[in-house]
Amino acid sequence: MEGETSRENILVARDLSKVYRGATRPALNGFSVSIREGSVFGLLGPNGAGKTTATSIMNTLLKPTSGNVSVCGIDAARYPGQVRALIGCVPQEIALYLNLTGRENLLFFGSLYGLRGKRLETRVSDAIELVGLEESADQRVFTYSGGMKRRANLAAGILHNPKVLFLDEPTVGIDPQSRNMILEKLAALKDKITMVYTTHYMEEAEMLCSYVAIMDGGQIITEGPPEALIHQRPGCANLEELFISLTGKQLRD
Amino acid sequence: MMKLLSSVQKELTLLRRDFGGLLILFLMPVVLVVVVTLVQENVLKSMGETKTEILFINNDGKDVGALIEKSLQKSGVATIVTEVEGKRIDIDIAKKAVAKGDFQLAIVVPRGLTESFRKKAKQQVKDSLIVGNVKGSTSAKAQHEVPELLVYFDPALRETFRVGVMSSMEKVILGIETEEKIKALSELLPEKMEGATRKAMGPMWSEEFKKSMPSFRFDWDNNPIIIVGERVASQVIAAKTPNTVQQNVPAWTLFGMFFIVAPLGASLIRERQDGMLARLLTMPVSYLTIISGKIAAYVVICMIQFVLIMVVGKVVLPLLGTPVLDLGTSPAALVLIALSAALAASGYGILLGTIARTHEQVSAFGAVSVVIAAALGGIMVPAYVMPKVMQAIGAFSPLGWGLNAFLNIFVRGGGVGSILPEVALMLLFFVSTTLLAWFFMFQRGRIRIH
Repeated sequence: MEGETSRENILVARDLSKVYRGATRPALNGFSVSIREGSVFGLLGPNGAGKTTATSIMNTLLKPTSGNVSVCGIDAARYPGQVRALIGCVPQEIALYLNLTGRENLLFFGSLYGLRGKRLETRVSDAIELVGLEESADQRVFTYSGGMKRRANLAAGILHNPKVLFLDEPTVGIDPQSRNMILEKLAALKDKITMVYTTHYMEEAEMLCSYVAIMDGGQIITEGPPEALIHQRPGCANLEELFISLTGKQLRD
Repeated sequence: MMKLLSSVQKELTLLRRDFGGLLILFLMPVVLVVVVTLVQENVLKSMGETKTEILFINNDGKDVGALIEKSLQKSGVATIVTEVEGKRIDIDIAKKAVAKGDFQLAIVVPRGLTESFRKKAKQQVKDSLIVGNVKGSTSAKAQHEVPELLVYFDPALRETFRVGVMSSMEKVILGIETEEKIKALSELLPEKMEGATRKAMGPMWSEEFKKSMPSFRFDWDNNPIIIVGERVASQVIAAKTPNTVQQNVPAWTLFGMFFIVAPLGASLIRERQDGMLARLLTMPVSYLTIISGKIAAYVVICMIQFVLIMVVGKVVLPLLGTPVLDLGTSPAALVLIALSAALAASGYGILLGTIARTHEQVSAFGAVSVVIAAALGGIMVPAYVMPKVMQAIGAFSPLGWGLNAFLNIFVRGGGVGSILPEVALMLLFFVSTTLLAWFFMFQRGRIRIH
């Protein structure tokens, strides 16, 4: 479990398992985490390790076969609507309407979070400013570069000031400048928002995450603060070497 | 409620900006209505099922020619056209116009028909009068050639219609001929009778006696002696059939409405593939609100399509020479049909978008299934001309239900009560397809239902 701090656990997942219809083995098996408020929790693992399944259950998208999740003490199975109001998601895909402008997208998503009128407009403007899209906010998203789309995707996730933000590879496929900017913004946000960060970029996780869990075969195989995990494993100089030593060099498709 | 309105607004904005989609949703049904109505109107004309225009060239310029024209007009078999673009027509112009298919036939009344006709009628009467054993003179028979009234036909004209027109023409000519002969008889008979009586009575003949002789009165009663009655052999009264506008305007309106399944289904696939659905489902908004927003937006689109195509039927098509669309007497019923059809189409679009896995699947299957349902439902060819088996299968087509409901209003003069069964079927279809979509979504674990 996450390091000893005085902060409360904001997200607790207990003994989650998920068996998909027709599957012979579980995609997730005995997954348990307790995430402290204000931390950045890195969920790492090769393809098929169960990261997406775990994240989808924690963000209420999927129903677990067994186990339970609570966010801010609210049971996600019983009160999914209340939990959804507390979380934000930044999916790996550019989950934006390409034929709407950046601002129109944010106004729409903001309204679904129950924001109205001046409050909605202010939040949208703040989110646009935060991701540096002031000049292109009124252009349609299909005209954006890859980096701009990623930043707009991030803005849609933080618009309503969520307590917990789920980020699924938020920097994949973009230029170093945009990537750097997104990481800087996330680092600035981590005091206000607890993050569950899924990525294949180990250096990002090492830089940003206060706590990581490495998964394989539907289970957590190790977890802890990145520095501590690296020191515990002789011969590993960084998180990437630790990851390879734990999950092997065999290709996962 | 605000979330639903935001969802509707978002869908409408996306649709407004999708130029290709707008073309499919609005231009396609309008073009189909106009093209198919005009094509069918022409076909029905060649079959004689709509009023035909006949070119009429009266070279006679006297009583008989005018009488033929008047009788044809009175018969209602066709509209008589004597001028094209403000100019009187001659034989060459008429033949060209008929050969081109602009008119189905042309009638040419020959010069001097009236004189020739009257002489011939008088001669025939004279020849038929026998006084004693002396038959009337037959020497004149060869002197008057039979005048030929020419009828030029479009070669594409259906045989049955050609025979029908010829029969009407012969009836008109026979009527005029009979009238002329009776006129001749009314003049000749008293003359002959007086001559014969005067000869037989000799000196006893007096002018007083002449006054007592019966005279021939021509202005007899025109009431028919025998009426030919028509009766339907079966117990079932034949259904009233629609004209091309009454058939095609509602038919292609429904086709256009149901074509929303492609963009609606595709929008669901896109949202799923782009991770949009996942994002939406992690927001504090129910899936029902998301889907209701889509349905409401597409119902608005369908209602705009409906109004647009009705305007085409009412205003544009008549400018192109078709009958004006009669909207019936129940606007409430029309709105009810359009709303139910829009909901049925939206439900089907939601189902397709949920079941299909790719954009290609939803586009291809959506379009093909709507075309098949349209064909079975009598959209392309009126149901009453289809074989019984196809009519029975077509009874399951939502487009067929919609069309039948529209025809109840446009053709059969029905009101809200007359369309309730079809409206109920369409609403049932909407509920069934939406529930099925919900079931498939749940089955695949794409959403979490508590």
